[in-house]
Amino acid sequence: MPGTPLEKIRNIGITAHIDAGKTTTTERILYYTGMSYKIGEVHEGTTTTDYMDQERERGITITSAAVTCEWQGYRINIIDTPGHIDFNIEVNRSLRVLDGAIFIIEGVAGVQPQSETNWRLADRYNVPRIIFINKLDRTGADFFRATATLKEKLDIVALPLQLPIGIEDKFQGVVDLVEMKGVIWEGGELGAKYHDAPIPAELAEQAREYRQLLLDTALSVDDAAMEEYFEKGNVALATLKRCIKAGTISGAFRPVLCGTAFKNKGVQPLLDAVVDYLPSPIDVPGIKVAALEGEDEGAQAERRVIKADPKAPFAGLAFKIINDKYGTLTFVRVYAGTLRSGDTVLNTTKGHRERIGRMFQMHADKRAEIKEVSAGDIVAFVGLKDTATGDTLAVAGDPVVLERMAFPVPVIDISVEPRTKDAVEKMTLGLQKLAAEDPSLRLRTDPESGQTILSGMGELHLEIIIDRLKREYGVEADIGEPQVAYRETISRAHTETYTHKKQSGGAGQYAEVKVLFEPVERNGGIVFENKVVGGTVPKEYIPAVEKGIRAQADTGVLAGFPTVDFRYTLLDGKYHDVDSSALAFEIAAKACFREGMKKAAPIILEPIMDVEVTTPQDHVGDVVGDLSRRRGLIQSQESSGSTIIVRAHVPLKEMFGYISDLRSMTKGRASFTMQFHHYDPVPRAIADEIMAKSA
Amino acid sequence: MRSSRLHWMRGRTEEGPGEARTVEWIGWDETGRAVARVVRLQGPLFEGWRLYRAVALDPDGRVVELRPTPPEGADWLACIGGRVVGRAALPLQAVRTAEAALG
Repeated sequence: MPGTPLEKIRNIGITAHIDAGKTTTTERILYYTGMSYKIGEVHEGTTTTDYMDQERERGITITSAAVTCEWQGYRINIIDTPGHIDFNIEVNRSLRVLDGAIFIIEGVAGVQPQSETNWRLADRYNVPRIIFINKLDRTGADFFRATATLKEKLDIVALPLQLPIGIEDKFQGVVDLVEMKGVIWEGGELGAKYHDAPIPAELAEQAREYRQLLLDTALSVDDAAMEEYFEKGNVALATLKRCIKAGTISGAFRPVLCGTAFKNKGVQPLLDAVVDYLPSPIDVPGIKVAALEGEDEGAQAERRVIKADPKAPFAGLAFKIINDKYGTLTFVRVYAGTLRSGDTVLNTTKGHRERIGRMFQMHADKRAEIKEVSAGDIVAFVGLKDTATGDTLAVAGDPVVLERMAFPVPVIDISVEPRTKDAVEKMTLGLQKLAAEDPSLRLRTDPESGQTILSGMGELHLEIIIDRLKREYGVEADIGEPQVAYRETISRAHTETYTHKKQSGGAGQYAEVKVLFEPVERNGGIVFENKVVGGTVPKEYIPAVEKGIRAQADTGVLAGFPTVDFRYTLLDGKYHDVDSSALAFEIAAKACFREGMKKAAPIILEPIMDVEVTTPQDHVGDVVGDLSRRRGLIQSQESSGSTIIVRAHVPLKEMFGYISDLRSMTKGRASFTMQFHHYDPVPRAIADEIMAKSA
Repeated sequence: MRSSRLHWMRGRTEEGPGEARTVEWIGWDETGRAVARVVRLQGPLFEGWRLYRAVALDPDGRVVELRPTPPEGADWLACIGGRVVGRAALPLQAVRTAEAALG
């Protein structure tokens, strides 16, 4: 549908906890909108959006996939995202560029940890969302309990627009509270056939009660709608829909729908809701430009907003890179303006020009070439030479830089070595390309062992990378045991002065720096301050001091782990007219860091994971006892039907291989998920062990 | 057909970024007398050097409700005369509360 008016475009994501049914729902959407002639299934490895070999083999989504479909004359661009926490970067970058999202919540378990994490991400990017309570055909499914978890865990006003008719194996359809009618799926035809029906008598009272709640909540966002209600005792359908859309966009409430995608019930009304209640690119406020260097990030109100307008100067954000056999594909969300293939744009993040080669509308791994893109589109460009995830593309006449993206911190390291010596170069190239695609993957060389170290979000993440290295780049690699990505920091302030002097024969080197090192709060990063007065360290050497300390911070003084969360203030120094240079100041700064850190009470930090174990009641004692032995702190125990959900904070170090222990402990009946929560200092005995290992 | 016994009309509005929102609805009876009102809790407000977060005003703009924190799910007050007869999370619910209190 090229040339679709902006108000008829929906850019949405589908996101949820692992196995809640995102890909299954996407498959039904593609089938009912006529984009696919048959429904693919996750367990058969035949879905459209899970196109990678690893996705089909494992039955999980690893990379987000964009597809486009049409419903009721609207173009819906959908991004199906992974559920596993190891691939959270995909959710992060997708939510960053979308105008709306469907959150799928499992009808048995309700809100699960990954739903919570993704919800907070959507909060960060102010993404309007609707909720789909899925799997209502499952044993133990309970629409009302699942809805209650939305309030409990997400602290939101969840507003049901539907009620289920029947539950578990008797689930037949929904009560539509907006139009006050029943909708029944007939079975057969893969759910494509459904019809309106009267509301079942046994649900009439409950439907009236929830309809009133819907009116009370939805109309409260619009004074004119309230007046219409006072006057007529009801409101027109268009008024009610307008209010629901306004409340959805403002976040005053979150509409809740329900169904079972796997059994082909409830998906078409969900599509109607996407069209009716989620915003088009012109319904959202627009994207803010990035804060200038040194400007307060919080002072957002002052910053310029780029609104969706095809006639405005071009501005787009690169949010995903893929390297395949045809070259590098750069996915871009176009926020303003229009661009034709062959045009030249400015990468305003890096400050260089890029020529747009070919442009494609993506449909999972298939592509359709297009000649023009404009505001509101999500497309892929081929031919960009040096544009990374998070970079802004704009025109030279209005070189805006859009708000940057934040990436998660990797928590697990592994060493990688090619099986044959001649594959070294190929492996490095392959890993560099994979790291360029995935900002949550970091690559470095251990300065002491010379080994290549890959840092990622979890064991599965790194396993997939090694597998891709083999399949896509033909490199067989040996990997080391997964290692925890420890960090180092300091726990007290210390001022260190260091003089670097080499003045015997030839050109000399002289630099002296006096630096105050102080701890900052967790996740505060590395902060530099320059308090030099009177030119005791000339201006041109200050960047060298900053560079030296930042470079040295990659190798901590205790066990060689990166040092984080500290402020260093250059207080004073000395220089020599002839012998001082940037290099001399960099060397002095590095040595000053090494000496100073040792005296600033350095400590080692370890990643603490938020672990959620779902276990049958009779094994809960074993599970809790085992988590405590792993240095875990139990946060809560909740009952959900016949199972207990145990939540704990456990050091990542203690969680390697946990799945096999849990299975043997519970005869395979328990499952668990975990995600990074925070960094904490390691106990003394373990710090000694880590330091001894690195010595 | 009207759903309520009283004629409800907009009262005070709150100015702010974007559209002004009604923070008070006034219920008039058949004789044109304002007999009820529903008022949204406001704040924060400094009063006697203390910061209060839940503040509602009477018809003359005087404070009728002052609390350190707003009660859970009770952003709207239903008032008959100067008396608070109930609270509700949403204005339409507060309207029903006020009408119910009228008997």
